[in-house]
Amino acid sequence: MDKLVAIDIGGTFTDIVIYDGKIKIRKIFTGNNPETLVDSLIKEFLDFKILHATTLATNAILTRQGLPRVAMITTKGFKDVIEIGRQNRPKLYDLFFEKPRPLVEEEMRFEVNERIDSRGKILAHLDHNELNEVLKRIKSKEVQVIAVCLLNSYVNPEHERTIASEARKSFEYVSASYEVANEPREYERTSTTVINALLMPILSKYLARFKQVYVMSSAGGLVDKHEAIQRPVQLIESGPAAGVIASAELARILGIKNVISLDMGGTTAKASSILDNTISITSEYEVAGEVHHGRIIKGSGYPLRFPFIDLAEVSTGGGSIIWKDKEEALRVGPISAGSYPGPACYRLGGQNPTITDANLLLGRISDEISGYKLDKAASIKVLSKLGDPYRISRDALSIANLELARAIRLVTIERGYDPIDFHLFAFGGAGPQHACFVGEEIGIRKIVIPPMPGLFSSFGLLLCDEKYELRGRPKDNLEESFEELEKELEHKLGKVDYFERYADMKYKRQGWEIIVKIPSPCSEKEAYELFEEIHMKNYGFKLEEKIEIVTIRVFAVIKKRLKVEDLIEYSIAGHEVKKRLVYLDDLQEIPVYPRAFPMGTEIEGPAIIEEYSSSTFIPKNWKARIIELGCILLER
Amino acid sequence: MIWEIIQKSLEFIAEEMGIVLKRSSVSPNIRERNDFSCGIIDEEGRILALAEHIPVHLGSFKVMAKNCIEYIQELEEGDVLLFNDPYISGTHLNDLTLARPVFHNNKLIALTLNKAHHVDVGGPIPASINPNAKTIYEEGLIIPPVKIMRKNEIIKEVIDLIKSNFKVPSAFVADLKAQIAASINGEKRIKELIDKVSLDEFKEANYKAFNYSKRIVEKNLSEFRGYSCNAEDYLELEEELLTIKVKININDKFSVDFRGSSKQIERPLNAVYGVTFSSVSFALRCLIRDYLPLNEGFYEIISVNADEGTIVNPKKPAPVSAGNLETSQRIVDAIFKALATIMPNKIPAAGCGTMMNVMMGGIRNGEFWSYYETIGGGSGARPNKDGVSATHTNMTNTLNTPIEIAELEYPLLYTIYEIRRNSGGYGKYKGGDGIVRGFKITERATLSIISDRFRIRPWGLNGGGQGERGRNTLIRNGIPKEMPSKFTIELIQGDEVIIETPGGGGFGEK
Repeated sequence: MDKLVAIDIGGTFTDIVIYDGKIKIRKIFTGNNPETLVDSLIKEFLDFKILHATTLATNAILTRQGLPRVAMITTKGFKDVIEIGRQNRPKLYDLFFEKPRPLVEEEMRFEVNERIDSRGKILAHLDHNELNEVLKRIKSKEVQVIAVCLLNSYVNPEHERTIASEARKSFEYVSASYEVANEPREYERTSTTVINALLMPILSKYLARFKQVYVMSSAGGLVDKHEAIQRPVQLIESGPAAGVIASAELARILGIKNVISLDMGGTTAKASSILDNTISITSEYEVAGEVHHGRIIKGSGYPLRFPFIDLAEVSTGGGSIIWKDKEEALRVGPISAGSYPGPACYRLGGQNPTITDANLLLGRISDEISGYKLDKAASIKVLSKLGDPYRISRDALSIANLELARAIRLVTIERGYDPIDFHLFAFGGAGPQHACFVGEEIGIRKIVIPPMPGLFSSFGLLLCDEKYELRGRPKDNLEESFEELEKELEHKLGKVDYFERYADMKYKRQGWEIIVKIPSPCSEKEAYELFEEIHMKNYGFKLEEKIEIVTIRVFAVIKKRLKVEDLIEYSIAGHEVKKRLVYLDDLQEIPVYPRAFPMGTEIEGPAIIEEYSSSTFIPKNWKARIIELGCILLER
Repeated sequence: MIWEIIQKSLEFIAEEMGIVLKRSSVSPNIRERNDFSCGIIDEEGRILALAEHIPVHLGSFKVMAKNCIEYIQELEEGDVLLFNDPYISGTHLNDLTLARPVFHNNKLIALTLNKAHHVDVGGPIPASINPNAKTIYEEGLIIPPVKIMRKNEIIKEVIDLIKSNFKVPSAFVADLKAQIAASINGEKRIKELIDKVSLDEFKEANYKAFNYSKRIVEKNLSEFRGYSCNAEDYLELEEELLTIKVKININDKFSVDFRGSSKQIERPLNAVYGVTFSSVSFALRCLIRDYLPLNEGFYEIISVNADEGTIVNPKKPAPVSAGNLETSQRIVDAIFKALATIMPNKIPAAGCGTMMNVMMGGIRNGEFWSYYETIGGGSGARPNKDGVSATHTNMTNTLNTPIEIAELEYPLLYTIYEIRRNSGGYGKYKGGDGIVRGFKITERATLSIISDRFRIRPWGLNGGGQGERGRNTLIRNGIPKEMPSKFTIELIQGDEVIIETPGGGGFGEK
């Protein structure tokens, strides 16, 4: 079996899970130069297959920093499609609303005289002289990437193909819409294509250093380097996806159906809901968008047409800075001390108190985490700047818990689900300290702390299959059309374990397809029947209309070789139980256990369970029980 | 379960009804442009929750619930009620409303409502909205509340009767099925919710939510208690101007008095009372920046005084199809113009002030087609920043039909879709720019446009300039001809139509 290493680079910590027959874990500071860190890890794990999660793509779009200079080529008369969007305003009742700033400035939008109609017929031919003229003008603007999106190119990509291949003669990064998101609706396709183009050089430069790497995609599968560079748009939300997959896998083994995963790291916290063992996937995703009723508000961000794991994110993590505003009100975040200088207690020069400092001062974490020594005196010093350090810490943690509850709210209450029906899976370095308080805040009574909570998301990478998507338009014979896609994938990938087939289907005049899982082999008639069955189930009616298969999609799956059970080993060797002064309502001495218990062990709060990557705080009225695979179940 | 979860669940159910409707409908106006709205009321007609759909629909639910309460209370389990009479349903004939009762232990406890804009509801003009209608009878088929489903069985005869009057019957039937699906989905989810809590808890949560909303509104208005203000604004009808006059009093209620507004006219700009009420409630909602569930508690605070026989409360058979399109926008403009005098930091300059309604249709391959579009414009500059370009403002928020979808469905070839640069009013803060949208027709068709702000431009505030006026141009045989704001014309193959929407007003002197 391959030797594997999962590397998940977060804003504060980098989590590493190594598998070479046995599991080893390591948590290190990301530092202020993640690329140097990656380089040294690549050297260390030269003969390993690297499984990688990165927030590079998301951060690039969110902060709009380090984005390359982009030009767009489109059909004459339509350069503002990207700015008009769908003409709606994201907030219905806000007179002070804004639309997201267009990703391509007006002067960088170029038009060519060409026109293809909705049936694919060329009405105006592309003029090569004009195209060369346009490319020359683009060249003079020191452009690094080009996005090409013409009207109706999803029916006939001929002009886009010509433009892309001409452009590729002088530009390294060219993204044509028919290659990225070959489907109708010009605004959504343009937006997806532009974001893809913007990310290409960033990911390409970044991934060049790896020899054998698989990157987590937002849809919950791993993809190889080539795919990641050609369609980096699917790496948006790569970071958090693995934690959700790991939660779902673990929940299935534990026999738990409804889960909220809460991943709280150094910089942000992400929540996702898993209902009936099903991860929720959305295809109408908008990056940098806002959420209303648990769904992204249309028009608040930049649309991407690709499947995404549904998540809510808040900027509250261990590194979130505690401060006071002009009105002397205590605030937490959204600015994070990040990895460098990090919380004051890291002794890297951080001058601002953070959530980690507050947790340290109140005794909820010990003065040593993941092998790093923490300096409580430094925490006291910076917290005292804001007032009584104990009171400030306690209040700041309450504020942070409220924010965490808000993330959970977005994926439950806002969707009409009652959190009481869910188990909270809390992980990330900071998750287990806050889990019970967040649970109390939002009405959750059962919490699971998975093994290796501080590295759980990274651990999830080892549990993901490789998944490669290929889509196309069906030809006369459905079975043959699928086989063609499968052959192409097999040719590209070599050995494939199995294929998953999907067809996006609708009644002819409907505008939105239903995704139908298609068996192999399958006739058109069977596909139609499957569609009508799902349509009936979803909507309760059938129509006397022709059924249409708009897109067929195949995922080539290369299965992971590991199971959760293979990966978790925990020692039950007894360790010494310590006592520590912890600030509850006042300072109290409470027991601190190392995480090494036989199944069935019960511990009453207040208590703390410590391990390498995190520390779980059990308040009064909560009880911990050790269940299968060494998981901690917290109940009140 | 806390009341807030129940309130949120109801809002979510209303949103979900919208998703079912959108996903399973067939006409681009519903499936692409989201021209529909969903809500939930209780057995007394009180609003429990509304989804954030189209403002002009939403406020009308309140008036509609009151107007059809007797019909509603006679419904039995498994029924679906359909109606579109604007004098009952509160908007115009194109909006078909469905009501589905929700029973618990054989008692009516709630209704799901949804309203969707069907492009063609009969009448002499493709897409029904008729710029030259003198009475409502020239705007399509009037449907009073009728059952279209009994004991979960479709009543085919009724559907057939309606279908025979609509120009695109297959779209009507398919979209109606999508509306029924949305109604039933809502009913099912409400039942699940009540099974999980109890009816008592459900009712109590609703009252708590009403109180909460009422308190939030009162809190937000407290600093303006005792204030009053007034203003007027205008709609254009050929050489004439129609007046919307408002006097606002803020006390226990947010009251708007429309005395002095123009008498009803024999043209479709009359806004039924439901539309006027919607416009007032929209304006009030915009003043509140906190989380505010739109329910009975909110609507209780609103008081509207509109004399019968005026353009803000016409009597049957006045035509009303453009009342909720253009007149509703002007009512909001007038209210904001008045409010700007007492809350100068909260109110932007006028937005484009028109929905720029485009109605088309004709016969293609032996079958009728009809198409409806609205085009956004510039929003008014705000007291602290510029306005937004190319956006829908105030009473509508429908999406555009993607060009690729419109070309796939209709005999159209688009020639331009751009921002109308420099059409926003000047000022310290600039008004947003409008849109230019142009297309050629590839087969003969009938085109109607209803728009406004072609003469009276969107106003600026505090010395800010006016937004650019709207403009419609028809190019036939290469010769451009400027068209009025409201007209119907037969187009021939190759005709090009270019529509330019107004910019928003500016704020402050430059």
